[in-house]
Order: sequence, then C-alpha cells, then structure tokens
Amino acid sequence: MSDMLRLIENEVQLAALAFLGLVYIVRLIWIFRFASRKERTFAAGSQGAGIRRSLANIAMPWAMESTRKDPWLYAQFVVFHLGVAAAIAATFIIPYAPHVFEIRAVVLLFQAVIGAAFLAGVLRLVRRLVNPVLRLISSADDYVSLVLMILFFAAGFLAVPNDIDRAEWPLIAFFGLTAFFLVYVPFSKISHYLYYPFTRFYLGRTLGHRGAIPQGTRPMSPGKDNERTSRPKGDPR
Amino acid sequence: MPFIEIEGRRIEINEEGFLARPEEWTEETARLLAKAEEGLDDLTESHWAVVKFIRDYYLEKNLAPMVRKMCQATGFTLTQIYDLFPSGPAKGACKVAGLPKPDGCV
Amino acid sequence: MAGGRLQTYDPAGDNVRRFLELLAGRLTRPLTVSLTACVHCGLCAESCHYFLARPDDPTMTPVWKADQIRKVFKRHIDWTGRILPWWVKAGSVHDDEDLNRLKNIVFGSCSACRRCTYNCPMGVDTGLLVRFTRGLLTELGVVPEGVFNVSRDQWETGNQMAVSEQDYLETLEWMRDEVRAELGDDKVDIPIDRPDCDILYTINPREIKFDPRPIAQAAKIFHVAGESWTLPRWGWDQTNFGLFSGDDRLGAWVARNVYEAAERLRAKRIVISECGHGYRSTRWEGYTWAGFDQRVPTESVVVTLKRHLDQGRISVDPSRNAEGVTFHDSCNIARSGDLVEEPRDVLRRVCSDFREMTPNRRENYCCTGGGGLLSMAEYRPLRLEVAKIKAEQLRATGAKYVCTMCHNCIDGLNDVIKHYKLPMKVVQVLELVSKALVLPEKGGRG
Ligand code: SF4
Ligand code: SF4
Ligand code: SF4
Repeated sequence: MSDMLRLIENEVQLAALAFLGLVYIVRLIWIFRFASRKERTFAAGSQGAGIRRSLANIAMPWAMESTRKDPWLYAQFVVFHLGVAAAIAATFIIPYAPHVFEIRAVVLLFQAVIGAAFLAGVLRLVRRLVNPVLRLISSADDYVSLVLMILFFAAGFLAVPNDIDRAEWPLIAFFGLTAFFLVYVPFSKISHYLYYPFTRFYLGRTLGHRGAIPQGTRPMSPGKDNERTSRPKGDPR
Repeated sequence: MPFIEIEGRRIEINEEGFLARPEEWTEETARLLAKAEEGLDDLTESHWAVVKFIRDYYLEKNLAPMVRKMCQATGFTLTQIYDLFPSGPAKGACKVAGLPKPDGCV
Repeated sequence: MAGGRLQTYDPAGDNVRRFLELLAGRLTRPLTVSLTACVHCGLCAESCHYFLARPDDPTMTPVWKADQIRKVFKRHIDWTGRILPWWVKAGSVHDDEDLNRLKNIVFGSCSACRRCTYNCPMGVDTGLLVRFTRGLLTELGVVPEGVFNVSRDQWETGNQMAVSEQDYLETLEWMRDEVRAELGDDKVDIPIDRPDCDILYTINPREIKFDPRPIAQAAKIFHVAGESWTLPRWGWDQTNFGLFSGDDRLGAWVARNVYEAAERLRAKRIVISECGHGYRSTRWEGYTWAGFDQRVPTESVVVTLKRHLDQGRISVDPSRNAEGVTFHDSCNIARSGDLVEEPRDVLRRVCSDFREMTPNRRENYCCTGGGGLLSMAEYRPLRLEVAKIKAEQLRATGAKYVCTMCHNCIDGLNDVIKHYKLPMKVVQVLELVSKALVLPEKGGRG
C-alpha cells in the first residue's frame, strides 16, 4: 500500500471528519439560537405520538399521497439512501476492518447495493434534468451534490473489493471523494439529514398536539366533556 | 376589464362579477345583471323593492346595508330574501343593486 | 381600543431594508429548519391544486413559491448563500417591485391550505412559510387591498365587517324573535353577556351582516337542548384576519378579545360557530399569538352538537335530510386542527344519504377560497381557474348538497359551483341538524 493511500485512508479522513463534526456543532448551535414557541393550548392529541409518527413518516410510503401515488420514486429514494449508508460504511470498513471485505459475499452485497444506488442516482439526475419543475428550482448545489454522489457510488463500487494489488486508484478516488465530501457536505443540501429530525419534530409536535396526526387514532371528542384534554404544565386548575 | 355580454349589451364588471363602476348603475343594468349573474329572467316588484332599498342605502351611506335592514325596510323575511336572490343578500341582491363587493369573508 | 397597528404602505420608505430586518428578527426555529431542509425533490408539486390545474406552470408548485422567500433567507441568513449565492440559488429583494411580486405569490397563488405540508417527505411546512412571508409584507403595508380593508375593520371595530354594537344586538333580537315565532315559545332567548354560563358562543360577523340564519339555528337547538349559553357584547368575533395576513399582533388582539370575554363572564367553555379559519385561530393559534394560557375548553359548535346528540339532549330524524350530502373538510380544521370524524359522526346521524368525496379528510382539496383569498378580488380569475380540481372532485360525488363547517368555504364553494355550473348547494352542519331536529312535545323540556 502506498503512503498516499495510507494517508488518505486514515489521517485525511479523520481530519475531514473532525472538520465536519465541528461545523455541525456550530450549525446546531446556530439552529438552537432561534426561539421555538411555547404551546399554550389544551391538547387534543399527543405530542409524543405526533413526533414519533412524523419521524417514522420516512418509512411509511403509504402515509403520504405523494409517495403513495409514485412508489417507483419512493423505491429510488430507498435504494439511493441504502447505497449512501453502504458506501459510508465502506469508508470505515476498509481502513479499520478490512477482513470483512475478504468475504466475497459481503463484497458482492455491497457492490449490489452501491451499484443499484448508482443507477437510482442516474435516474434521479435524469429526472432533475428533464422535469420542468425540478429544472426551475434546481441550483448548482442540487446538481453537483447529485453528480458527486453518483461518482461516489461508482468509486465505492470499484473500491469495496479492496484489492490494492490489482489497482490502488479506485481506493484513492473513493477516499479522496470521501474526504472532499466531508468538507463540502456541511455547506450543501446534502446536510438535509441534519435538519430532518428538526422539521419532523416540530411538525409532529404541533400536529400531534392538535390531534391531526397520527391520522385516525385519536378518539373522537367525547360526548361528555373535554375531560381527556390535558392541561398545560403549570396550569393552576 | 372583464365584462358580460347580454342582449347585445356589454356591462363591465370587476373580477368578482360586481359592477365595475357602481355609479353607472341603471335599472336596465340591474335587470341584465340579475339575468346574467343570478339567473333571474324577470325582476318582480319584490325584487325591485329589495334592490331599490339597497341602492338608496348605499348612495346615502356608501355601505352595504345589513340584511336586517333589508328585511325591516321591505317587510320580507330572511327566507323570502333568499328565495328572491339565490346567492343571498351580499353576492346576490347587492350585486344586482350595483354595489361593489362587500369586504370580508363573503 | 384597537391600538390601530395596521401599517400603510409608504412608497418613500426604506421598505427593502425593513423587510430584511423583519425577516431576520422574526425567524423561529420551526421556520428556520423549514427554510433549510428543502431538498428540491419536487414531491410536493402534485399536492397543490394550483399546480394540478396548471401542470405546465412550475411557478404554481409549493416549492417554487416557498423558494421565493427561501432564496432571500439563503442570501442573508443561511451560510453558503451569503458567500456563494448563485451556487444555491440565493437571491435578495432589491426594490418595492420585488416585494410586490412576492406579495402576488404568497397572497395570490396560495391559499395556505397546507396540503403540500402533509406531502413533503422532509416535513417542510410550506404553509407556515407562506404565512410568515405574508406577515412580513403586511408589516410594510404591501398587502392586497381587501386584506388591508378587512384587517383595518377588525382593528378598528373588533370585528371584520365593521358591524356596530347596535346592529349586532338588534340582529340577535331579531333572530330571537324569529325562533320564538317558529317554536311558538316565548321562553326562547339569545342571551347577551350573561355571566356563569356553560357556553360562550362566538360567531362570524358574516352571520350578523348577511346571513343570520345560523344564529337562529343554534339558538333553536341550544334551547331545545336546554343549554346554558350566552353571546358576549364584546369579543364575539371568532374570525381572525391575522391568520391570513400573517399579522400575529392582530391575531393576538382579536383572539384575546374572545378569551377575555370568557374570563369576564366566567364562561365554562368557548364555542366557535362553524368557521374554519376562526376555529383554527381561536382554538389553536390565538393562544400562542396572544401569549395567553388556555383556561377553558374551546370547541367548535359541531362538537357541541355532537355532545347534544350523544347525551340524548336533542333527537333528530335523518329522513328529513334525504338527499345526498357530501362533506368538505375545511383545511384549517382538518389539516391544522383536529376535527375530522366529529362532523361525520353528526352528519351520519342527521342525514340519510351521506357520501364521502375523494380525497377526503386531511387529504381533501381546498375550497380554493382559503387563506383570505375570498377578500382579494385581484386573484379571483386564477382562483376560479384552479378551482377546476375542486369542481371535478365535487361533481364526482353526485351529491345534491355539500356540507362544510366553514363560512369561508361556503362562499368559496359557492363560487366553484356557480363558475363550473354544478347542480349542488352548500349547507352547514347547523342547518342540517336544525332541519332534522325533532321538536319535543309542548310542555316538555324547553
Ligand atoms: S399551501 Fe396549499 S395552495 Fe399553498 S402551495 Fe401548499 S398546497 Fe398549494
Ligand atoms: S416536497 Fe418538501 S423537500 Fe421536496 S421540494 Fe417540496 S418542500 Fe422541498
Ligand atoms: S376556506 Fe375552507 S377549504 Fe378553503 S382554505 Fe379555508 S378552510 Fe380551507
């Protein structure tokens, strides 16, 4: 293994990872500096149930009309993100647990997942280039992030066999891209996963409190009285 | 400016179907508006009683009258007003009387 | 009384700078994350009736509309866009013309129905962003004339149709007399400012000014049910243009009038007549705007009616509403509130032919008159054009009546029905219950 590869698999990765972590910490502080409002009404539903349901939404394609009507798009989404998870896992497995990739079945599995994600990525790129709505709203960041992901999948597909005797360049490309990603990601749309819990939490909290979600599980307002409505904490009565 | 064309005449209205320039109202426009917008082929004496009251009230106060005032002045019950103008006092009767669209959730 | 905080547009003012200051100053955490989280996936597009009706116009999609404020946020608040604006499509507003354009988008091409919110995989609340942007523009007086006039009336008179106290009281007396005559019972009353009642009833000024029949229907049913109730002399308008204009101060003031009326009269419960945005404002948002901790249950009159039915305090005969009835969920109630099954439960008991429209409940399409659009004449042509979606949905039910628990939806739906020549009539829950109401024998309870 060349020094270059060793360096890029280890020190460079760790430095980039530390950078990403640092920026995210600042980013989270930034988010928390914006105030959130206190709920002052009696609940008709449950905040907890709303939050849980809202966060689980991602795994419930039947829950939204938009995903229900287009399962094909949803399937692409799943494949794409499984590929992301596999590729990220590979960046840790290769330097720290290389024996895993000595098992041929594992390598094939990773290649299958990452390869499928590559195809899903291409389909998404085509959609972004062809669909007039997406063309109108897409920014350079949207395109570049997607293209980078597609390249990352390609590199990952070639890198997981971890066969440095055959060629080092797939690994160098893969880890080079990873390092670049770690630095670029906090400033791009790819960071959406950092915001997802927040948007979902606040939406779920509000709508759950009001009993608007989860759908169909809230008991109807009872005939007798609003007894079941809970009072906000600190309410004197 | 949108308009309606009826019986060979052209009446300018605003986006809400109300007369564009309320000051240009005539009995003839009322008849045409009633036909085009309310589907009333003929304005009876009862219709005229309501329309004229609204018109006079508007000219005096620059305001659409409350439906209670319409009933008081004309002696009609609320149901009768709705029978006369299917779209109701605001979007029906006031429109025929050539008033601008009343403000608010109507 | 009002505080008169409505801003008028000042062409010489430093409006762009003020806009940006307001934007920076009013951001909350839910707003900020909704602004940052959008991944431009476009999945929300087909949830919006504007885009469904104009599929060739990408500017009708929720994401494009929200992006018009998002790009300003990116340019001035977020990180990357401040340094590399073009990279993330960040951009600013430069002059009043830009503000005006923004106004036409957030007021003119969105009814703030939140249907897109429910269809965004990221949980981006576009409805919330639209209201937020409206609020910034309202603060500068860059608002549609109708919104301005109604807000002014509500600030100045405490109700959105500038009904005077005398007119208010006289109309209530009139309705009381009508119900007395109908029931042949002089004990029927519409009490004003009676303390210690179970119910404080609040209404939509439209009921006073143009259509007081729902007041009479409520009075009749409450009488038969033996309800202890009152209307307040002040604080009776449960509607709230602050919801539409995005002006939290107006929202706070109007809602507080209602809450304080309940305190003053020691009412045990606030009941809101059938109104979608009024329900959302008074039951949910108003307490937040006003910084007022809820102390008494606050409910829609539909829930009150359901209670009367559940407890056997009124009896009904569904055969009196024999023709097909479908139900239109008001977005403000179903998507931003809780009541979905309650009105259906009541309707099933008072109608013999109840049918759902498709989609329904939280996925229902807006009546197209929401978000205050009924008061904005300038956007009416577009509103009626995109109402095509609603018209098709209504027509498919084959029902003779479409019932809704929202005054605003009544007018919105009436416009759709008229424009698309549907053989339908709009009714409210109170009207159907009132028609089905079986009057007790004379000398019984009353
Ligand atoms: S809130 Fe409703 S009208 Fe507005 S963009 Fe979303 S779906 Fe369309
Ligand atoms: S669905 Fe959500 S994330 Fe996707 S474009 Fe619309 S608002 Fe953005
Ligand atoms: S008017 Fe009715 S359907 Fe339309 S936005 Fe309001 S509540 Fe929704």
